Amino acid sequence: MRGSEFDEFSFFAAVESSGARALLIGRRAMVVLGLPVLTADYDFWVHSDDIEKLNTAAQAFDLEPNRTPKDARRNGRYVLENDEHVDVLVSATRTTVDGLEVVFDDLWSRRVSVEIGTAKLFIPSVDDLILTKRIGGRPKDAEDIRLLQRLKEVLE
Amino acid sequence: MSRADFPSGAAIEAARQLTERSLTAEAFDAYVNAPVSEGEREEALRLIRWFSKRYPTPAERLAYVRRAYARWSQPHRG
Repeated sequence: MRGSEFDEFSFFAAVESSGARALLIGRRAMVVLGLPVLTADYDFWVHSDDIEKLNTAAQAFDLEPNRTPKDARRNGRYVLENDEHVDVLVSATRTTVDGLEVVFDDLWSRRVSVEIGTAKLFIPSVDDLILTKRIGGRPKDAEDIRLLQRLKEVLE
Repeated sequence: MSRADFPSGAAIEAARQLTERSLTAEAFDAYVNAPVSEGEREEALRLIRWFSKRYPTPAERLAYVRRAYARWSQPHRG
């Protein structure tokens, strides 16, 4: 399947149906919340026990994993790709630039459910999304946090 | 913007490296906490309100960004 034909809503529906504990993070989650930012990729943080479920869902879209589930667990991340590029984080925990531990299960317990057509998509809360941006620790992550802070002003 | 106005591949790569480099905790917080001018803040708030009103549902927002990205990246293809 070529990227231009990629039906992201069907992909999100397939992820939900798979039962994988998957959080959409990154800039596409920012878009969902109401921030007009551009991005080429999809970023998910997935429970490491659910890699196989996600891969099965992705298979219907010809998205191929670049690592076996075992290697992905060892590396803490992998990519699903064809013309599309889906970065998948699978660590149980990640550390922010200032050493704070971010736990997937905590983010999952505070997840926000968003309706996309007939499907449900899960994203972190705004504060947790800010936390995930502190994991990246890059200038673009800092810029994204500044935008998320503005978004909080609008939402409050 | 015409095709000729788009930055070169080298310029895009240089910008990518600049924005995607790892920062120390101190440098990162300096970025995050840099003062925001009132004009900059108002512009950001205006843009967020426009986007949320123009595209009230997450599905519409995602579809818009996918179209916008396709438009933006087209001149770099082929």
